[in-house]
Amino acid sequence: MSASVSQPSLGQGRGLAGPAAAAGALFLGIAETVGAMAVLFASIVRTMAAVPPTLDTHELRRNLHKMAVKSLPIVVVTALFTGVIAVIQAAPVVKRYGAEGLLGWGAGFATLREVAPLLTALMVSGRVGANNTAELGTMVVTEQIDALRALAIDPVAFLVLPRFIAIVVTLVTMTVYADAVALAGAAFAGLGLLQIEPRSFYNGLTGGLLGFGDVANGLVKSLVFGFVIALSSCHFGMSTTGGAPGVGRSVNATVVASASGVFILDYFVSFLLG
Amino acid sequence: MSGQIEQTAPSPPGIVHDLGAKGIDLFLGARELYGVFVRTLYYVARGRREKGAVLQQMFEIGNRSLFFVSISMGFIGMIILYQAGIEIKRVIPDYSLLGATYLELLVRDLAASLGGLMLATRVGAGIAAEIGSMVVTEQVDALRMCAADPVDFLVVPRFLASLVMTTVLIVWAGAVAFATGAVTASVAFDVPVRIFCNMSLIDRGDVVTGLTKCVAYGAAIPVVSGFCGLSTFGGSEGVGWAATRAVVNSSLAIIILNAIISTASLLVFGAT
Repeated sequence: MSASVSQPSLGQGRGLAGPAAAAGALFLGIAETVGAMAVLFASIVRTMAAVPPTLDTHELRRNLHKMAVKSLPIVVVTALFTGVIAVIQAAPVVKRYGAEGLLGWGAGFATLREVAPLLTALMVSGRVGANNTAELGTMVVTEQIDALRALAIDPVAFLVLPRFIAIVVTLVTMTVYADAVALAGAAFAGLGLLQIEPRSFYNGLTGGLLGFGDVANGLVKSLVFGFVIALSSCHFGMSTTGGAPGVGRSVNATVVASASGVFILDYFVSFLLG
Repeated sequence: MSGQIEQTAPSPPGIVHDLGAKGIDLFLGARELYGVFVRTLYYVARGRREKGAVLQQMFEIGNRSLFFVSISMGFIGMIILYQAGIEIKRVIPDYSLLGATYLELLVRDLAASLGGLMLATRVGAGIAAEIGSMVVTEQVDALRMCAADPVDFLVVPRFLASLVMTTVLIVWAGAVAFATGAVTASVAFDVPVRIFCNMSLIDRGDVVTGLTKCVAYGAAIPVVSGFCGLSTFGGSEGVGWAATRAVVNSSLAIIILNAIISTASLLVFGAT
């Protein structure tokens, strides 16, 4: 868990035995992680705003290819199955109310606003975020970051900033793909399982109940998720300690922190956007 | 693996070569995964068990994930209810069946699938990182030297622990998501909790489908992640790769199993 970053000594030696100390240590660990991410974000923003721009465009392009292009198959497969599952789960409700014409609207509403951004974020956090942590963590434990510092190269400008931008861009573009593919999957599942013509699915989708606001809602969410995933992945990667097992622990901490961050922020963003 | 492919196609690799290489890789990976699965089942039936190993893994997989699963599922419950409430308000402003439909969906799919995805992230990465570290520090080779199959020694305790704890955690996750959903419904849409807690729509098919999913995910996560961990190579970068692949592949396994089980249950129990 994210508590792994906190010093284990926090939970002991205070005379507060048992669960209270453990709970305190857990929350201190969480606060420490969030604080470290905020500091990292501040230094990313400062680097971004530096007057002669220090962004390494070659590194950015390399990361974009590695993250976005290479994740396309897995995002497409996930979105396709998600669309199918959404229709299977909606089938009883549709049958119960005889609402065949509304299937397109229902699937569109759920997919565009919630399902596609959320599942894409989970898959991207698994594939891209974890991989990025592993890469940065390996650099840390093999002392490549120290070598960079010794050469007076700022690791945030050289390594973290391009990765941060690449992860955010990846997540937003992948969400657009996932929206389209999940809706296509839902349309075909509707035809195959409920005998609803794709034309009537399309009419339900474009019949006026859904607008650009729903698409934008999902994309704003994926932007926020991208920030969370990029920050936690870079933070845990850069704070790796202790050889190969340490890299494994960092990856584990990253995926857990990204997933909880995504769900917690999803609630607040949904609530704020209404 | 790639060595064989290069021998058969030495000259300029085209799209057919790429597709073929992907296909062969996928096939070989699937065969090895199947091998790990079969060996796991074999050792579950035949192997001797180290004392306390399963219990320790149950603690590792179950108790350690409790906080994470509760937080995530609590927020998911609030989100789903909030979005569904907005959706219903646009079409039919009638909240009387909101709770019943939500509970049905939760039992049949959402608790198992979303909880399963959470566990795939948390447990899958943990298992792969742990076994992967053992591989790169040659502890697994030492096991093989002692004529102990690493599947028997490492994967089987996690498999048994995960079968039990995934089911327990998913039931708990469903309860948490329902509770936060009920709170959201009463605060945001003025649906009384007593009306919200309506079990009339749940039937045998829903419960059987939900429990099947729990067991299937509980079996899939440790086998897929254990396979990813055991096939680690290289140093610390390899461990990171193994954990990444474990998260992605177990999530994918859950989504695909979900599609298969949901379709099967739709065909068996019908759309009631």
